[in-house]
Amino acid sequence: MRHHHVRRTRIALGFLIAFGFVLSGAIGALAYFMPAIVTALQDTGHAIDRNLPTTTASASASPGSSPSASASAQPVEAPPGAPFTVLLLGSDNDAKFSGTVLTQSMILARVNPTTKVVVMESIPRDMWVPLSTGGMAKIDAAYEHGGASAAVATVEEDFDIHIDHYAWIGLLGLVNLINQVGGIDVVATNPVMDDFYPADLTGRDPYAYERVAVLPGPQHMNGMQALMYVRSRHGDLRSDFGRSQRQQQVLLALRAKAKLLGIANLPDIATAMGNDFSTDMTISEIASLLPIASNIQLQNVRQVILASPYTSTGERDNEDVLLPDWNLILPETHLYFPAV
Amino acid sequence: MRRALTVTLVLALMAGFGFGVNRFIASKKHTIPGESSVFIPTATRPKIVLPGTLYLAQNGDIYRLSDGFFTDLHLSTSKGLWMQPAYVPNTQDIVAVLRAAEYSDLYLLNGQGQILQQLSNNANPHLNMVYLNHWMFYPHMVPGSGTIYFSYDQPKDSATYAVDFSVWSGTLGGKLAATQVSDSNPFTGGDVDPSPMAGGAVIYSKFAIGSGNAYSQIAVQTKPQGKPILLTTPAQDCGQPAPSPDGTRIAMICIGGTGLQSTRLEVATLHAGKLGPPQTLVNNCLCADPEWAPDGSGLVYYDPADATGHFELWWIAGALGAAPAPPLQVTTNLDFDATSPPSWSPLTTVPVMAR
Repeated sequence: MRHHHVRRTRIALGFLIAFGFVLSGAIGALAYFMPAIVTALQDTGHAIDRNLPTTTASASASPGSSPSASASAQPVEAPPGAPFTVLLLGSDNDAKFSGTVLTQSMILARVNPTTKVVVMESIPRDMWVPLSTGGMAKIDAAYEHGGASAAVATVEEDFDIHIDHYAWIGLLGLVNLINQVGGIDVVATNPVMDDFYPADLTGRDPYAYERVAVLPGPQHMNGMQALMYVRSRHGDLRSDFGRSQRQQQVLLALRAKAKLLGIANLPDIATAMGNDFSTDMTISEIASLLPIASNIQLQNVRQVILASPYTSTGERDNEDVLLPDWNLILPETHLYFPAV
Repeated sequence: MRRALTVTLVLALMAGFGFGVNRFIASKKHTIPGESSVFIPTATRPKIVLPGTLYLAQNGDIYRLSDGFFTDLHLSTSKGLWMQPAYVPNTQDIVAVLRAAEYSDLYLLNGQGQILQQLSNNANPHLNMVYLNHWMFYPHMVPGSGTIYFSYDQPKDSATYAVDFSVWSGTLGGKLAATQVSDSNPFTGGDVDPSPMAGGAVIYSKFAIGSGNAYSQIAVQTKPQGKPILLTTPAQDCGQPAPSPDGTRIAMICIGGTGLQSTRLEVATLHAGKLGPPQTLVNNCLCADPEWAPDGSGLVYYDPADATGHFELWWIAGALGAAPAPPLQVTTNLDFDATSPPSWSPLTTVPVMAR
């Protein structure tokens, strides 16, 4: 009887020790991934509010509004392996624009995991559209009026498409992300010259200007240089369209660097992004995108820019704006992004 | 006592195991080399000895490569970063660009890196009028004369967004920005990379924007502000022209059809003001800044050796001929400034550093 008791005690002790080792290992792993876990909790899984009040009835009656603008469709989650659409948002987020954050960049991306084809369509920030939250404005104001949910709803309604996910990144987040991956390699399309580039990230007067001169040709850019390249627009004949093209270019360069990363790099990336990133995707969905991104070949990436004749310059509310020709934009968009 | 020791030992082992798991995961992290992991050129030796003397820029300093050894010119970076060296023919001197945050100036330096003369003064002291500053880049001396070509962001109206480079010329001993050579297309970035050719002409990259895309064409200017001769088409999107020493060929970097994610190094014959069919020496690369050896035995260019994006120096022997040798990587673990074309003097200089 006593022998039996001793045996049971030893087995229990063995289990206890084994459990202690497993627990210790788990704590070690947890400590390593803590920055990524904190980021996952703070910045991911921000569900899109699809119940925002919309005013599409008045909007669709406005001149220049999307002929097919309608209430945002309720989400139908794409099954695993099916094509999905992500709205990529980039914006100011510094104190200068506190409370009035505009999106400087809006890129619709359609990813087909099966065919490994990606389409990127840049939406000009000055496009004059009906907002999901009411009234007409430049599309970059949608985020200001209702955050990512309003930006998603506005694009869904105006372009008559369904967006599965969004990802937002602030200027500093982009800078830090690029620095974290060791910079990116870019073939600068032309000399990017700007004497009125906002000096809001360099610690001087946030309303001051600084000069930018990105020289042309292949080069290695750090985060701040890449930001100047994608953010400058004053010296470009194409204004925002030139910037849109450069933004897509930098995204592809980042994708090339992402191929070098593994799951053990996530904590460093998460620390670098800090609070300058948010998405409705979960961390597991983001992780599942990494192998897709690394398997996509450049020749399978199609880039769409809504320049003339899709848009034309005009003036509304004493502002220079871009007026969309929805009769051209919608068929082009629906070639790649299914109509709802 | 013995039991307490055993428990302590087991707990210590558990803690060690947890720490080990943590470090094991950390060891699986993919290391992406940063700037700090790059060597300074003087700590390395090139794989081959190239003729003459090459001047190259890395991390804001300028290096000389001669007789198989790098020499650091030890230029002070307190006012900005040094780049785009250009040798002064028949001397050990160079002209180089000192790039500050909002302006850049040309300087004349001797072979030891001492400043002989500040050639331009493009800084404006009024902090709230940054547009009154100016840029000068891409200096290139004309052999046999004191003439210098460079790109300059003049003329511009202080109140405009139009800031474009034009090609200018002047003399080292006289007025630097004496003549505006090219008229740039406004709001394109303008004209860069001028190189002198025989007969007083200058070849350069001329940027334009059409059909929503920015592109470059190789242009030749035979007289100041005259109509340029365009040697390549918009679809080819070629720039960074480097005329061979005998003037019969042009090496250039072309982007057309690459989706803006890579380049091609091409060489084409130049005859009667026209380029022949281009021969692609390197395809699907990030090749930049070709420069011919002064004796015409080959050419060098920059291209990253791997995905880290650090630009190394490469050499193609026999690039003037019909069957050039395959590219040879000359340097390792360096990171040259790919926006600084190398300058190649025929003179061999004695390295300053002890061997």
